Amino acid sequence: MKVIIYSIQSVFRSLWREKWINLLTILSISIGLSLLTAFILLTLNMDSVIQRWAKNFGLVVYLNDDISAEEEAALKIMISEDSDITEIKYISKELALKELRMTLGSKAPILEGLNDNPLPSSYELNLRRDLLEPELVRKKAVQLQQMKGIEEVQYGEKWLSSLYTITRAMKIGAFFIGGAIFIAITFITYSTIKIFFYRRKDEIETLKLLGATRIFIRLPFLLDGLIIGLLGGIISSLAIYGMYSFTSLKVIEFLPSFRLFMASFPFQVYIIVPLAGAAVSVIGSYIAVGKIRY
Amino acid sequence: MIEFSNVTKYYDDDVVLKDVTLTIEKGELTFITGPSGAGKSTLLKLIYCDERPDKGQIMVAGWDIGKLRQNTIPFLRRNVGIVFQDFRLLLNRTVFDNVALALRIHYMNASTIREDVHAVLKEVKLGHKADTYPQHLSGGEQQRVVIARAMVAKPTVLLADEPTGNLDIDNSQIIMGLFREINARGTTVLIATHNHGLFHASGRRVFYLKNHTIEKEEIG
Ligand SMILES: Nc1ncnc2c1ncn2[C@@H]1O[C@H](COP(=O)(O)OP(=O)(O)OP(=O)(O)O)[C@@H](O)[C@H]1O
Ligand SMILES: [Mg+2]
Repeated sequence: MKVIIYSIQSVFRSLWREKWINLLTILSISIGLSLLTAFILLTLNMDSVIQRWAKNFGLVVYLNDDISAEEEAALKIMISEDSDITEIKYISKELALKELRMTLGSKAPILEGLNDNPLPSSYELNLRRDLLEPELVRKKAVQLQQMKGIEEVQYGEKWLSSLYTITRAMKIGAFFIGGAIFIAITFITYSTIKIFFYRRKDEIETLKLLGATRIFIRLPFLLDGLIIGLLGGIISSLAIYGMYSFTSLKVIEFLPSFRLFMASFPFQVYIIVPLAGAAVSVIGSYIAVGKIRY
Repeated sequence: MIEFSNVTKYYDDDVVLKDVTLTIEKGELTFITGPSGAGKSTLLKLIYCDERPDKGQIMVAGWDIGKLRQNTIPFLRRNVGIVFQDFRLLLNRTVFDNVALALRIHYMNASTIREDVHAVLKEVKLGHKADTYPQHLSGGEQQRVVIARAMVAKPTVLLADEPTGNLDIDNSQIIMGLFREINARGTTVLIATHNHGLFHASGRRVFYLKNHTIEKEEIG
């Protein structure tokens, strides 16, 4: 407890003594954090858009025309018990024909010449979301194809693979850009604290000789980093709030599609950003102080 | 309290101390002397673990210095007050803060620190200089600040490295008087000096360091 009190006093003293470099660091951190937050929100939102698309992805399983009633019942059980399949929609021959008529509209009379319904009955299946990878879907399709009474399995193979590519690219991009910003913020604190540390090198040497423990030596720097990061985070939160208010007022007026972005703006961001700033900053400070050897 | 058994210390390939053996009892006040470069400071540094022995064993207040782990070194040093040859005062801190530092690292509370520091400054006759910065003090006064810092935490061992380096006889006598007082309170004191006047007729043990080893031991 006393350690903390003493350290906090000395931290505020040193923060004030170095107010310009600290201010610069705090602002840099807040810019970094704002970028990171905007980027994460953008990624999250794009992901949810993609997930919405993915929801519509389905396999169509066409049944054999001469399938027997028993076969059809057995097939139905097999499909409904398959845990990979989340939704099943049965389309009978009759329903298929009706839908075709509706699609054709005024041209429907061309079907009049048929005395037999040429359309097969079918199932529309939706797969579990985590299975929506080209390879896994292909396997599933092959597996279904081999079931008795199934004529053909169709799905949007090209569409799926491009969706998959986009999602992957986004995830990798998010990882690298997010990581780069993260490292940049760590480095900002790192270099500031490193400067402080070098300036106080003689003092630290003396402290060590007087019998100061590592924690006593390190704590002021960590607290320094903590406060810098926290302030950076708070400023960033305020900036994000400001931008949010501005965009919700102005931008949506001109750019209604922006509402999509705004829609999933979690309120916790205002708490997470300062905490993240503090955490990253403390890590930077810790690395800056490095190993203390006697 | 301090025990060297066949201690050898090299700096790179140069031997500084060779087969040094000596024992200092608890509560003693002793001197170590020898020409410049003989290794007096090195011997003291070995005691507070700023240097490690290459051979032999050093025991200080029950600690085996050669085997001390990094985490334990601060706790050894809290038992050892050091008057550095180069002072090591922090120039951007007042006299008060410089002395207080030795207590702050023990996490003492502020009011105790204030009392103790003022008491010790009065003892070294610097009560009126508490708020002065070191560079505005004379050499003798700076020396006394260093002594105050070394004694304020009431260490069991006090090491003084050339404590009268550039001082006149009067100032040297004042400082010797301080060491005798500290010693009278039970602290074991070891003073490294080439100022023979300091131990002449003192009746204390004096170790003569020459040719990398203790050449002789006499009563001053
Ligand atoms: N860190 C070091 N690295 C290499 N050599 C050193 C180091 N410190 C001291 N020495 C050498 O070791 C020898 C002993 O040095 P030391 O400082 O112990 O002598 P001293 O007896 O205290 O001398 P003085 O009376 O001048 O203070 C000297 O030759 C010195 O140059
Ligand atoms: Mg010396």
